[in-house]
Amino acid sequence: MSDEREILKMELRWATIAGAAVAVIAGVIVLSSFAMAIHPPSHVETIDPATLGQSGEFAEANLGARVNPDGSVTVRMIAAQYAFVPRCIPVPQGRPVTFRITSPDVIHGFIVAGTNANTMVLPGYVSEVRTVFQEAGDRLMPCDEFCGLGHGAMWSLVRVLPQSEWKSDENGRASCEIPH
Amino acid sequence: MPIDDRNPSAGDGGDGISQAELERVLRIVPKGAFALAGLAVGALILAWLGVYFFVFLPRGPVG
Repeated sequence: MSDEREILKMELRWATIAGAAVAVIAGVIVLSSFAMAIHPPSHVETIDPATLGQSGEFAEANLGARVNPDGSVTVRMIAAQYAFVPRCIPVPQGRPVTFRITSPDVIHGFIVAGTNANTMVLPGYVSEVRTVFQEAGDRLMPCDEFCGLGHGAMWSLVRVLPQSEWKSDENGRASCEIPH
Repeated sequence: MPIDDRNPSAGDGGDGISQAELERVLRIVPKGAFALAGLAVGALILAWLGVYFFVFLPRGPVG
């Protein structure tokens, strides 16, 4: 009987340790999420996928990076079978960047390699991701949601430019070239 | 499994192990299991914290 009591005591002790481990992990996530305003992209906004490129926010002339009055940058993109438009996106280092991206055909994936920027792109919805790029350099942005036979060739490039190299035109537009 | 205290020869199944020796071993065995489980869980939590602070957070905020 005393053995059983001993085992019960040990199990309770172990349950406390396991509970404490879960509490530590949950505490770290909650505290850092509040402190750094981290949360999964949860933007919900609908759009007509049939008329995307013709007019409105995602008209061809409006795609790409644009500087906002507050100095942050908004990037508008279309993910379509089998390419992102535009193919190269310049963004400034250390400044808030908002990606707004949508699809006219099927579900695509948006991920900027080496960063936490990652979301799904659904036809009929505008996906929005906010981030700050800490390091300058080129980052690959492949489609990470299988979207058809050309999926493997669907990628774009995010070019993070240091403040000294960042420039935009009089309309706040910025562009870059894809390296050959 | 509870040991039958009423029968002192319960642990002696012809293998030369006495009841007292069996009880002594059964008292030690759970300690090793807890030590092993503690090390495994401790390593797991340290690995999680390492990935979170040294990989996830440096990759920049997201929202």
